[in-house]
Amino acid sequence: MDSQCRVAVDIGGTFTDIVLLSDDGRAATRKVPSTPGNYADGVIDGVTRLLTDLGRASESVVDLLHACTVATNAILEHKGARTALITTKGFRDILTMRRIRVPRLYDPMFVKPEPLVPRNLCLEVEERLDHKGQVIRPLSRPDVHTAIARICAADVQAVAVMFLHSYANPAHEREVGAMLAEALPDHFISLSVDVLPELREYERASTTVINAYVGPPVKSYLDSLRAQLSRAGIPARLQVMLSSGGILDCQAVTRWPAQIVESGPAAGVIGAARLGRLAGYQNLITLDMGGTTAKASIIENSQISMTDEYEVGGAVSLSAELTKGGGYPLRIPAIDISEVGAGGGSLVWLDPAKAIKVGPASAGAVPGPACYDTGNDEPTVTDANVVLGYLNQSALAGGTVPLRPERSYRAIETKIAAPLGRGLMETAYGVHTIADANMMHAVKTVTTYRGRDPRDFDLFAFGGNGGVHAVSLARLLQIRRVLIPPAAGVFSAVGLLFANVEATATQAILAKTAELSLTRLEQGYRQLELRVAELMGYPADHVRYVRLMDMRYGGQASELVVAVPAGPITADALKAVEDRFELEHERRRGHRLTGNYGFELVNLRVRGVVDSTGASARPGPAAFTGTASGKAEAVRAAYFGPTIGALKTPVLPGRHGLQGAARAGPLIVEDYDGTTVVPPDCHARLDAIGNIVIDLGGAP
Amino acid sequence: MTEHGPATNQPDPFLLELIRSSFDAIADQMALIMLRTAHSGIVRDTMDYSTALCDAKGRTLAQGVTNPVHLGSFYDAMQCVLRRFDGDFNGGDVFIFNDPYEAAGQHLPDIYIVKPIFFAGQLVAFATTVAHHSDVGGMVPGSNAIGSTEIFQEGLRLPILKFLERGVPVQPIWDIIRLNVRVPDDVMGDLQAQMAACTICEREVEELYRRYGGDTLGAYVEHLHDYAEQLARSQIAAIPDGVYEFSDHLDGLGENPEPIALHVKITVRGSNVVVDWTGTSPQVPGGVNAPLPFTKAAAYAALRSVMSAAVPNCHGYTRPITVVAPLGSLVNVKYPGPCGIKGITGYRMIDCLFGALAKAVPDKVAADNSGGATLPTIAGYENGKAFVFCETVAGNWGAAFDHDGQDGVAHMGANQTNIPIEMIEARFPVRIEQYGIITDTGGPGTFRGGLSVIREYRLVRGEALLMVRSDKRAFPPHGLFGGHEGAPSFNIVNPETDPVVLPVMTTEPYSIKQGDVFRHIMAGGGGFGEPLSRDPARVVQDVIEERITIAGAERDYGVVIVGNPPLVDQELTRRLRQRRGISCNAVSIDAS
Repeated sequence: MDSQCRVAVDIGGTFTDIVLLSDDGRAATRKVPSTPGNYADGVIDGVTRLLTDLGRASESVVDLLHACTVATNAILEHKGARTALITTKGFRDILTMRRIRVPRLYDPMFVKPEPLVPRNLCLEVEERLDHKGQVIRPLSRPDVHTAIARICAADVQAVAVMFLHSYANPAHEREVGAMLAEALPDHFISLSVDVLPELREYERASTTVINAYVGPPVKSYLDSLRAQLSRAGIPARLQVMLSSGGILDCQAVTRWPAQIVESGPAAGVIGAARLGRLAGYQNLITLDMGGTTAKASIIENSQISMTDEYEVGGAVSLSAELTKGGGYPLRIPAIDISEVGAGGGSLVWLDPAKAIKVGPASAGAVPGPACYDTGNDEPTVTDANVVLGYLNQSALAGGTVPLRPERSYRAIETKIAAPLGRGLMETAYGVHTIADANMMHAVKTVTTYRGRDPRDFDLFAFGGNGGVHAVSLARLLQIRRVLIPPAAGVFSAVGLLFANVEATATQAILAKTAELSLTRLEQGYRQLELRVAELMGYPADHVRYVRLMDMRYGGQASELVVAVPAGPITADALKAVEDRFELEHERRRGHRLTGNYGFELVNLRVRGVVDSTGASARPGPAAFTGTASGKAEAVRAAYFGPTIGALKTPVLPGRHGLQGAARAGPLIVEDYDGTTVVPPDCHARLDAIGNIVIDLGGAP
Repeated sequence: MTEHGPATNQPDPFLLELIRSSFDAIADQMALIMLRTAHSGIVRDTMDYSTALCDAKGRTLAQGVTNPVHLGSFYDAMQCVLRRFDGDFNGGDVFIFNDPYEAAGQHLPDIYIVKPIFFAGQLVAFATTVAHHSDVGGMVPGSNAIGSTEIFQEGLRLPILKFLERGVPVQPIWDIIRLNVRVPDDVMGDLQAQMAACTICEREVEELYRRYGGDTLGAYVEHLHDYAEQLARSQIAAIPDGVYEFSDHLDGLGENPEPIALHVKITVRGSNVVVDWTGTSPQVPGGVNAPLPFTKAAAYAALRSVMSAAVPNCHGYTRPITVVAPLGSLVNVKYPGPCGIKGITGYRMIDCLFGALAKAVPDKVAADNSGGATLPTIAGYENGKAFVFCETVAGNWGAAFDHDGQDGVAHMGANQTNIPIEMIEARFPVRIEQYGIITDTGGPGTFRGGLSVIREYRLVRGEALLMVRSDKRAFPPHGLFGGHEGAPSFNIVNPETDPVVLPVMTTEPYSIKQGDVFRHIMAGGGGFGEPLSRDPARVVQDVIEERITIAGAERDYGVVIVGNPPLVDQELTRRLRQRRGISCNAVSIDAS
C-alpha cells in the first residue's frame, strides 16, 4: 500500500498550481491550465495526472488543501447570488452612501462601485436599538413578513440582515433570522451578529452582504469539488485557506464564505513564515511578484502580520487606508498584504512630459509581454529584463513559453529609449529600477508605515518574477540578505501545506479599561472561545486559544490589536495589555499620548488554532531538492547599470549548481519556474532546505 | 548608493520618478499617522485635515490623499513662516498658527502645525499639516459662526508661534489654547496627532537625504517642480483657447437671505490660464468670505481636475495658473472681515469654475452638484461638560456626458468621509433617524443628476444649540446642455409634529430640546443633456430601483411605465415624446 500524502491546490486566473507532499517528506509540483467554466475540472484533472505520473493510488490522498478565487471572482465580476438586505427603517441606502470618500483626488468622472444589492432589494423594517442594546422601537413582525413576501417575489437566493447596534444586542437580528429560516429554508441567510458583531454599521453591512453574496457560489463550487473528488476515488478531507492564513474544513467555510476572499495571497505568506523558520530566518519581508502585481507582507519573530479590514476590488494602491472607496469593504481578519501594479506584464509608458511610468496597466499573461509575440507590441517589465539579459533569450518556464527577444529590444527602443534620446541598455535598466521603486512602496506600506525598519529584515521573494527583482529591490531598501525558496513559481500552493486550522471571533465592548469588570471580560473571552471551537468544528479542549484586544487611546477612532498575556484576565494582565498598546502605538505612530485620555477597549478577539497535522507530513529539508537537470552551465551578457555595464554572466540550469561553496555574482540561476539574478558583489549559496541565499555585498 | 550621476541641467528621468514617488509616499504616510491618532470626529472620522511635504522654500512637494482646498493654500502660509522666522529655525522646533491675516491661514478652526527639517545642518524641508479643529472658541460652539461680522468673534487667533522650541513645549501657548477652546481634550489630542505626522515626515526625509545626498535632492526638487509645470502646461494647452465665464450664487445668510453673487472669467491662452473673479460680490457681514490663499487653492483644484495626466501635486503645477481676486470681495476678504465658514464659498468657487470649464471641456466635468459638504452642528453641555457634535454631510454629483450623477460622494474640493452612526450615538446625545437618498430629486437629463441626501437627527437628552451651514435652496444645482436642475435643499425642525423651517445658513443658533428632530436635506444634482433623450431602459431601471416614481418618469422623461414588474409602454412613450415636440436623437455636447 502507498504511503499517505497531502495535496495542495492553488487556483489562479491562468494556472492551477498543485503540490503533492508524501509522508516521507518528498514533494512534487505541477502547473496546469485553470478551467474557468468549472474550476473543479482543472483541479481533478491536474491531481489525477500528478498521481498517475507518480504511480500513486488516489486513495493515498488524505488531505486536499485548497486556495481558490471563486469568492473573489464572484465579487469582481458581479456574478454572486442575487441578494437582498434587510435593515433598520431609515437606512436602506447604507450600501449606496458607503463612507463617502472617493479613492482618487481630482477625478470628476469617477464612478462608484455598484452596490452588490440593488436598491429595490434593500428592505427596511421597523426596529431600533441604542448603543447599549436597549430597545428604542420593538421589531415589527408585519414589516418582516412584508420583506419576506418581496424576497419571494424577486428570485433572490441570499439574504443579509444588518440592524443598527446589533453588536450590543442580537435579539432583533436573531428573531428575523429565525423567521427567514422558517419562511425561506433554501436561501443563504447571513446575519451581521454572526459575521461581524462590531461597531461601524457600513463596514458591518458590507461584510455581511459580501458573505451572503458569495455564499451560494462558494457552496456550489465546494459541493461540486467534493462530489468530483469522491467520483475520482480521492477520499481526501477538503480544507480551504482563509484570508487570515488559517485553514478550515469546507463545511465551516460554506457557513462563513467571506473568509476565503484573499486565500491565494495568504498561502504564500504562510509558506514564507514556516519555511523561513525552518531555515532559521525569523524576520522576513515577503515579496510575491507575478505577472500583474507584486504583493508584500512582513513576518516578525516568525509571526505573520494581520489586518482586520480591506477592500475587495479596490484599486491596487499604496496606502489602502487613505484611498478607500473603490471596492467593497470586508472587515474580516486577513494577512496584512500590500499590493502594487508591478509585475512582469506591467506596461511601460511615457506621460506627456516624458516621465517613465511602469504599470498599473498590465499585458497580463495574455497577450503578455511583447517578446511572447502574441499580439502585444507595448514594452513590459519582462521585456526590459529580456533586454538586460536577465531572462533566457529563447524560452521561459523550462522551454514551454518560447520568446522572441528581438521584439523586446524593438519595443523598448522605439517606445521608450528613442523618444527619450537615451541608450537601450540604460533605458531597460531604468525600467527595471522603476519597477523596483514601485515595489519598494508596497514594502514600505507594511514596514515603515507600520514603524518597522526594512533593514531589520531579510527579503523572501517568490512568484514567477520574484528572483529577477529581489536583489535590486533589496538594495533599494538596504536589505542585506535575500532568500529565493524552492518551487518559487508555485509557492502559494507550497504554503498551503504549512497552514494550521484557525478561526477568529470577536465581540464589541467599547468601554474605558478603567471601568471594565474583570469577571465580565473573562466571561466574554470564555464565550468567544466556545464560539471559535464551534466554528472550527473541534471540541473546545482540542483548540489552542489566543486572546487579543482591539485597543485605542480614549477618543481615538483607530485601534491596534494587542495580545493578552496567557491565563485568566487579571488587573495585572490588563495593565500589561495597556503597556503593550503604548509600546506599539509609539512604534507605529511615532508618539505616546500625553494627557489624561485613558485606554478604550473596542473589541475582544479570540483566535483559535489547531495544528493541522503532525510535523512529519510537512515538507522536510529535502522536499524540493529534486534532481539535477543535467544541462551544462552557459554564459550570456547581462547589464548591471551604467557604472558597471554589461558583464559576461554564468547561467546555471537550475539551483543545484549552487551546491557546495557560495558562488560570487554575476550569476543567473534558471529554475524551471523562475529565474534568479545575482548581481556582481553578491554571493549566492544553497541552504539545506533548497533556498537560494544571496548575501549582498558592496556599499549599502 | 545611487548609480545615477549627480544632477545636471537635464534630470535623469528614472531618478526623477524614484524621488517623486518617495515624496508622495512620505506625504501619504503622514496622512495615515494622523488618521490613526487623531481624536475629534471631524479629524479622525470626517478626515478634514491635510498633510504635505514642502521644500526649504515652502513650496509643496507632495500632499497626502486628503483635501485639495487645504493644500493649494500652503504656499502663501509657508511664505509667512519663512518671512517671520527666517534664520531662526532650529532642529526640534514646531510652529503653530491659524490666522488668515497674520499667517495667511484659511479660517481659525484650521490650525497649521509645521516642522522644519534639517540635513547636515541645512534647512532642507518642512513637514506641514493642517487640521480642522472641533472648536477654537468664539461666539458659537464649533467656531463655525455664520453670523459673525469681524474675525474677533470667530475664536482664538494664533499668529505664527513656536509651539515647541528645540523639542521643548512652549507651555504658555499650550495653556492659552487649552483655556480658549470648548473641547480641550479633542483639540490637544489632534494637535499631538499633527505633531506625530511631522515627526514621521522628518524621519523619512532625513533617510531620503542620507540616501541621495543634499546636492542631488536639492537639484531634483527643482526638476520636480519643472516637470510638474511642463506636464500641467501640456494639459492646459489641450484646452481650447478662449474666454469662459460663469455666474452662480450663494443663497445668502439668515432668515432673509440676499443672494451673494460669484462671477468667474477663465481665459485660456496657449499653456497659460487666468482665473479672474472680478464681478463677484463685495465681502459680506458673515463668515462666508474667503481669504485669497483659499481662493487660489480652489482655482488650482478645479483646473487640476480637468487635467487627465497624473500631474504631481507639487507647487510647480500651479505656475501656469494666475488668480485675480479683487481685495475686499467675497473671494479676497479684507481685514478684519470674518471668514469662519469660508468652506462653502470654496465649494461654490470650484462649482463656478466647473460651470465655465464645461464650455471648454464638456467631457471632463459633471453638471452641478449638491454644493459641497454641509456642516450641521449640535452643541451643548452634558453633566457640566461641553460637547460639540459637528460633522460634514456630503451629497451627490451632477450627471456627466456618459453617466448618471453619483450618490453619496465627497465634493471635489474636500475628500471627506462620514461618521459612523453607531460612533455618533455612542458619544453624543444624538440619534440619527434616517440617512439615505430621496426619490425624484435628481435633475432630469439624458443622464440624471445624483439624488438628494437626507440625514435626520434627534436630540435624545437635554437641550442644545443647532446650527447649519448649507446652500442651494434658492439656486439649486444647474444642469448642463439641456439637463435640468436638481431639487432644492431643505432644513426643517420637527417636520412631523411642529414644523419650523430653518434658513440654509443659520446666523443665530436655534435652540432644540430633548425629542426634537432636525431633518436636513441636500439639493439634487443637475442633469446632463435633454431628459426626453434619456434611454427609456434607464428610466425604467430608475423606477424599479425607486430612484424616480412612475409619475416622475412620465413628467420628467416622457416615458410611460406600466405593469408589475414595471415595463416601458413603447408606443405611448413614442407618442408622448413626439407630442412634447423634441427629437429623441442623442444630445450634442458641443460647447457652441
